[in-house]
Amino acid sequence: MPNSETGSLALDVRGLKKSFQRPAVDGLDLRVGQGEFYALLGPNGAGKTTTLRVVAGLLRPDAGSVSIFGIDALADPVAAKRLCAWVSDEPMIYDQLSPMEYLAFVAGLWGIEAASAEKKARELIEWLELLPQAHDRCESLSKGMRQKVALAGALVHDPSLIILDEPLTGLDARAARLVKDVLIERVRRNCTVVMTTHILEVAERMAARIGVISRGRLIAEGTLDDLRRQAGTGDTSLEDVFLVLTAEPESSP
Amino acid sequence: MSRPGSVLWLARHEARLGWRDLHYMLTAGGRWHLWKVGTVLLLAVALLHLIAYGMVMRHAGLTLDSGPAVFSTITGSFVLIFLLMLSQSLEQVTRLFYGRGDLDLLRSSPVSLRRLFSLRVAAVAVSTIAMAMVVIAPFIDVLSVLGGARWLSGFGVAVSAGLAASGLALLLSSALFDTLGPKRTRLAAQIVSAVIGSAFVIGIQVMAVLSIGSMSQQALFGSALAVDYAPTGGSVLWLPARAILGDGAALLALLAGGVLLLVLPMLLLSGRLVDYASATVGGAMDIRLRRGVAGVFRKGSPRQLLRRKEWVLLRRDSWLASQTLMQLLYLIPPALLLWRYYGDSQGSLVVLAPVLTMAAGQLGGGLAWLAVSGEDAPDLIASAPLPAGRALLAKVEAVIMVVFAVFAPFLLALLFYSPRVALTVAAGIGLAALSSTLIQIWFRSQAKRRYFRRRQTSSRIATFAEAFSSVTWAAAAATAVSPSWLAIGPAAIALIILMGAWAIRPR
Repeated sequence: MPNSETGSLALDVRGLKKSFQRPAVDGLDLRVGQGEFYALLGPNGAGKTTTLRVVAGLLRPDAGSVSIFGIDALADPVAAKRLCAWVSDEPMIYDQLSPMEYLAFVAGLWGIEAASAEKKARELIEWLELLPQAHDRCESLSKGMRQKVALAGALVHDPSLIILDEPLTGLDARAARLVKDVLIERVRRNCTVVMTTHILEVAERMAARIGVISRGRLIAEGTLDDLRRQAGTGDTSLEDVFLVLTAEPESSP
Repeated sequence: MSRPGSVLWLARHEARLGWRDLHYMLTAGGRWHLWKVGTVLLLAVALLHLIAYGMVMRHAGLTLDSGPAVFSTITGSFVLIFLLMLSQSLEQVTRLFYGRGDLDLLRSSPVSLRRLFSLRVAAVAVSTIAMAMVVIAPFIDVLSVLGGARWLSGFGVAVSAGLAASGLALLLSSALFDTLGPKRTRLAAQIVSAVIGSAFVIGIQVMAVLSIGSMSQQALFGSALAVDYAPTGGSVLWLPARAILGDGAALLALLAGGVLLLVLPMLLLSGRLVDYASATVGGAMDIRLRRGVAGVFRKGSPRQLLRRKEWVLLRRDSWLASQTLMQLLYLIPPALLLWRYYGDSQGSLVVLAPVLTMAAGQLGGGLAWLAVSGEDAPDLIASAPLPAGRALLAKVEAVIMVVFAVFAPFLLALLFYSPRVALTVAAGIGLAALSSTLIQIWFRSQAKRRYFRRRQTSSRIATFAEAFSSVTWAAAAATAVSPSWLAIGPAAIALIILMGAWAIRPR
């Protein structure tokens, strides 16, 4: 587990509980080290999105603690948010703003000085191949382009922890590759990435560690080999491991 | 059973969608039971009939021989309602080309799109007539009970007006498309619709202010001035008035004209409507903003940025632009009144205080909904390193500043006249706008900005609280301008309404 036991934890979640009509997250513990790429997997309704929304400061938990780079995110959410970026599967951008205007706004929210924000925004727009659309209103962009704009927004303030909820949903192969490349490059620069995905191949290839969540609890965690051992499946694919780990117990007649 | 793809089958499909839409609006998205809606509707119908009784009970005995003043008044009212119907139809017809909804599905199916669009234009006519009937029916009912069945011809006049309005709206919308293209037609149609809907009322009020010193259009229609300029009894201009007063031949002529005005444009344009809808998809709609980043990356605190962002979004909101334009247009008659009585007794200006305060409350409520409930990226704002209260405060500031910017010319004019009156009206505007904004914050429920039209359905309580608060602040402003300490009364009621709204806000 890189760095996570040496004290340089990017994310430390303990005993997290959150209920809506029924428990969505039920006593979840999660530790992610600085500079780590962590993938959170789980069946639909397992509590992945709720967990990440709590970490990003979008939901308050019923119980438990969330610490981001040692900052208590529940006691001092503003300081914690300064270090994070949140990207959801549904791009949260403004239809009536252009990508460039959107990046200027997001950079301003994170208090980035205008000149350096502009330089950063130009780089990102170019890197994400959005240059031809940089000054078009976002309402005319495709889903993939919108997702790239949202990702650029997440990166424009140089976050130390990027939290992504299904960021590859609806992207074509080229756009998905671009997003994956961007994330890997960030991890190389010691940024931490926590991502949920249903594309197991992505988790298998990109993540240093994978967490499997079911019914609001972390039921398995580690490298692919660790997970294989925990599932007792031998030398099989992550898909097989995942299906074994998340299999519903057979109900008694 | 109708054959799939046939006109009848499509009509059934459209009727089902229309009914579900109406059901959604009436039941506030399914939160109200139908019996509750029924009770409220019954009460509303009774109230409307009571109001109609009070207004027209003395006129049930009018006949075709009643003279030019009666013809002038009825024709004026008819033109007023017809223009409102035309305004509504134009807005709905244009929306047919831009609403994506099921259009892609239908375009990819073997269904005849010409048939579909013709049907949807017909549905616009039905909806326009139905909306007009809500207002007109109580009056016709009362007149028919008191003056005889001949008044029922009013229903026929409303139908012919609805058919004609929808046909003309189709022609207008098509002309806008051909001249302005798909990028600009939506905004242009909304502005034209706002102008058509308000121009006649405003024009008549302006004439009334200038000629008889009152804002009442009815007083003008019946005045000697209107009678002097009125055409002779046999004029075609009196056709609607004659039909309303029970002339069967006039009614038949109007109905025939209405059908022709709807069917001819439908036949002529139905093929092009498909092209218009296609033109609004994809690349053709790209809206390119200015090139370069000059001025985009500006210094400022997150709070300033949030305010700026709200203003940019409000400025680019075409629906809001047309609505604000309409509100501004409605302010022209009181502005004229201000100009006419400039230097006259202070009493004449009392009328301005409630008009401006009421308008500010309504404008503030609409803007606050867009800024708070219509936030397109709530997660982005929530995940930003800002205390939650500061983001909300920035939005409130953005709304109040826009309201004051809109009303500033009036306040400045009043300031030259009487600083005390100007300050009182400014306080009324500020309090009404702030109250509406607070109510929108307390009852916020996240929605897409494009659902602005349906904002009333998200919370009936918020809608009523906003309206009552604006009315009571308007009453307080009017009394305070008099000047009178009695203003404390309505102000206290406004505060009670606010406290009540706060107490029952969703948690």
